[in-house]
Amino acid sequence: MDLKDEIVINAPQAVVYAALNDAEILKDCIPGCEELIKHSDTELEAKVVLKVGPVKARFNGTVTLSPDNPPERFSLTGEGNGGAAGFAKGGAQVELAEHPEGTLLRYDAHADIGGKLAQLGSRLIHGTAKKLAAKFFKNFANRVGANEAA
Amino acid sequence: MNDLTPDRDERVANLKGLGCSRKRVEDARFTQGKGNYIDDISLPGMLHGDFVRSPYAHARVKSINTDAAMALDGVIAVLTAKDLEPLSLHWMPTLAGDKQMVLADGKVLFQGQEVAFVVARDRYIAADAVDLVEVEYEELPVLVDPFEALKSEVVLREDLDGQTEGAHGPRKHHNHIFTWEVGDEAGTNAVIDDADVVAEETMYYHRTHPCPLEPCGCLASMDKVNGKLTLYGTFQAPHVVRTVASLLSGIEEHNIRVVSPDIGGGFGNKVGVYPGYVCSIVASIVTGVPVKWVEDRMENLMTTAFARDYWMKGRISATREGKITGLHCHVTADHGAFDACADPTKFPAGFMNICTGSYDIPIAYLGVDGVYTNKAPGGVSYRCSFRVTEAVYFIERMIEVLAIELNMDAAELRRINFIRKEQFPYQSALGWEYDSGDYHTAWDKALAAVDYEGLRKEQAERVEAFKRGETRTLMGIGLSFFTEIVGAGPVKNCDILGMGMFDSCEIRIHPTGSAIARLGTISQGQGHATTFAQILASEIGIPADSITIEEGDTDTAPYGLGTYGSRSTPVAGAATAMAGRKIRAKAQMIAAYLLEVHDDDVEFDVDRFVVKGAPERFKTMGEIAYAAYNQAIPGVEPGLEAVSYYDPPNMTYPFGAYVCVMDIDVDTGVTDIRRFYALDDCGTRINPMVIEGQIHGGLTEALAVAMGQEIAYDDMGNVKTGTLMDFFLPTAWEVPNYETDHTVTPSPHHPIGAKGVGESPHVGGVPCFSNAVQDAFRPFGLRHTNMPHDHWRIWKTANGLGLHDT
Repeated sequence: MDLKDEIVINAPQAVVYAALNDAEILKDCIPGCEELIKHSDTELEAKVVLKVGPVKARFNGTVTLSPDNPPERFSLTGEGNGGAAGFAKGGAQVELAEHPEGTLLRYDAHADIGGKLAQLGSRLIHGTAKKLAAKFFKNFANRVGANEAA
Repeated sequence: MNDLTPDRDERVANLKGLGCSRKRVEDARFTQGKGNYIDDISLPGMLHGDFVRSPYAHARVKSINTDAAMALDGVIAVLTAKDLEPLSLHWMPTLAGDKQMVLADGKVLFQGQEVAFVVARDRYIAADAVDLVEVEYEELPVLVDPFEALKSEVVLREDLDGQTEGAHGPRKHHNHIFTWEVGDEAGTNAVIDDADVVAEETMYYHRTHPCPLEPCGCLASMDKVNGKLTLYGTFQAPHVVRTVASLLSGIEEHNIRVVSPDIGGGFGNKVGVYPGYVCSIVASIVTGVPVKWVEDRMENLMTTAFARDYWMKGRISATREGKITGLHCHVTADHGAFDACADPTKFPAGFMNICTGSYDIPIAYLGVDGVYTNKAPGGVSYRCSFRVTEAVYFIERMIEVLAIELNMDAAELRRINFIRKEQFPYQSALGWEYDSGDYHTAWDKALAAVDYEGLRKEQAERVEAFKRGETRTLMGIGLSFFTEIVGAGPVKNCDILGMGMFDSCEIRIHPTGSAIARLGTISQGQGHATTFAQILASEIGIPADSITIEEGDTDTAPYGLGTYGSRSTPVAGAATAMAGRKIRAKAQMIAAYLLEVHDDDVEFDVDRFVVKGAPERFKTMGEIAYAAYNQAIPGVEPGLEAVSYYDPPNMTYPFGAYVCVMDIDVDTGVTDIRRFYALDDCGTRINPMVIEGQIHGGLTEALAVAMGQEIAYDDMGNVKTGTLMDFFLPTAWEVPNYETDHTVTPSPHHPIGAKGVGESPHVGGVPCFSNAVQDAFRPFGLRHTNMPHDHWRIWKTANGLGLHDT
């Protein structure tokens, strides 16, 4: 499954980049995120509650951040296990560029889904994933943009 | 005698015997919600089981933590392979000579594989507890393509690693199961290489699933006081289950009672032995109370026996005039993670060697390679006798491709190659002896019924109109002529796990002239209680309405191999007739005594024995039955009972001719089946209405398979069609009107000449629907495209042929 989109964030590029590496901000913005523990600058552990169609599960996962080329490019990989509900793993490339209204964020994500999530949710999962990603970036844009305005 | 005395015709009609469209006696309870299915059975103190299943298609199981699940109130036990190992029940033998994990032993090999079995006070607690079992997996590379599997270094079955010999001969690779060969390969190749015309095609018969409306389930009850195990379940072969359960558990067979209650459809899905049965039995033995396990729809689709998954590569040769000279077929068979195919032991690819079809093909070869992949095990004959759907689809597609190669009409090509009436009994190049047939008569009747010439003319006009841009709808004429091979089978070459495939019937006539007959088969909707009583009515002269048919309880029914592969009428139906004849022979002696004549001086007449030449002197079967119990007859034991175990001398070979007329919207891929004509010849017809119902059902399942039903996997081994949202089950909305017709060519070796019909419409229907789709695109250069022909795939076919170019 591939997800691609772009969004404009009302904040300077360096601020956006830093926010993407801020566990506290990420925790507030990830839909369903209950816990996000930072083990190091690049290693995070997350607990996220996800609901796809009839399947609702708590996913325990790890996220590895790779700040390849600040403040323009950034990538991450992660995998999560939802027990009986299944599992997911994937990664994303995020690119930042200057924009008249702040920063243009482009993301290109790929995810593999397995288990009951994939079986039951196959026709729902793409829509759900798009919705969750959009929600994350909307939260993120609001949060970072608001910080900046304040 | 007076005017009210029934005449002979009335007496025949009163029996409701052979040929009578008697209403199904089962339907009163089914239509009023009074059926008794596995989930209707409830025993005091019963516990419920549910499985923890693998989300991975291939992974090592690093650890299983059951603490949280066990802590849940109402959870009684969580079984893992470690618990079953001391009983040697963590693996079980399959019907195909392989073995299968009951619960994951170190690794999992397909998505949905059974990992742990939770036993709880109720079904809901069990399901909650399943979510609390923590299993740590380490992912392994997944192989879902059999061709990749045969090249891969990844060893799927580590338990077999290094074993170069399998249940069916040498293994060529660690993911290879067997090679099965029939016929003369060198000779066939020589004929094909030298032939005027050769057609080649590779086709994939996709994986699908029988999907009975009722999933599989069982209820095991171990009575520790009496040492008796009672096992209720959705079993198509209850006696086989009893024997296997005894061999596996060590419980003596007389202490095991297996009961198949009403079964909501089987279609082959309920032949195999599943881990749920073993776990329920063990759980009942451990807890001392009954344990029920009933799978849900997803579990049924994902993990119980699939069907097909055959990659078939064919070469067929002919003279320029269209006379077929040779046929070569190679199959790469995807058997999934364990070889659990339900086939007679000596036939690892079932009766695939019926792939020469209805044609007089002088030389042929079939080779089948079975392969392990990370898919669910099983491999059953979904509404067909063992792999006959694959064989018939293969030959009926090869004929169409050859017709294209010859630039010939496919109906004519069939006609000139049919086995002729006078060639029966016919020895096929791949080893079968076809019992009887009259293919030309059936074919001519079918083509005349649909006005075949007229249809071809209309189709040609449609193509011209399409080319002129006046329509966007094409018309396909699907043809198929099939020969089934059913009634497995003769014990000399057919057995399952060493058990010969005979079947049985035991009859008791009651003193007042009614009767009960018990059989070794079990109806799953076929209407045995209706039709077997009709066979008996005609044999023993007791009205069908006065005969109870009972099946499925191993404590009372005679031993038999069960119901699948259209074997019930050919085998148990024959046993019924033969047992009836034993009854009649004894009745003749009693009648002669009562009439004070010699045995040879009375003859059977519908419902009585009459004195030859003096029909006014007679004894009815009712009078004879009463005398059998209540009158001392010198030299004759009291009672009127008989049992017959019937080992058929040969299979039976039903056949049929089908035509489908389909309109296809080129721009949407939407199909409209305008007409479907089905002529079936199943030999002697026992109940025409039941036959009609069987044909409607079989055609509908054929429509499903041809037009959309599949078990699809992604690269990670996820089942993508695990719910009825994605798995196509036709409803009244999709099902066309069917026209049925028949010819009657009795089987010469069956006591009443019946051949079996339940699966014929499926076997003949799938290629007929598929050929209709393919035929619509033939004028635009299509040779072959794989099923299922859902709208999207048809659209892609049209697109690939450039039909969307403006």
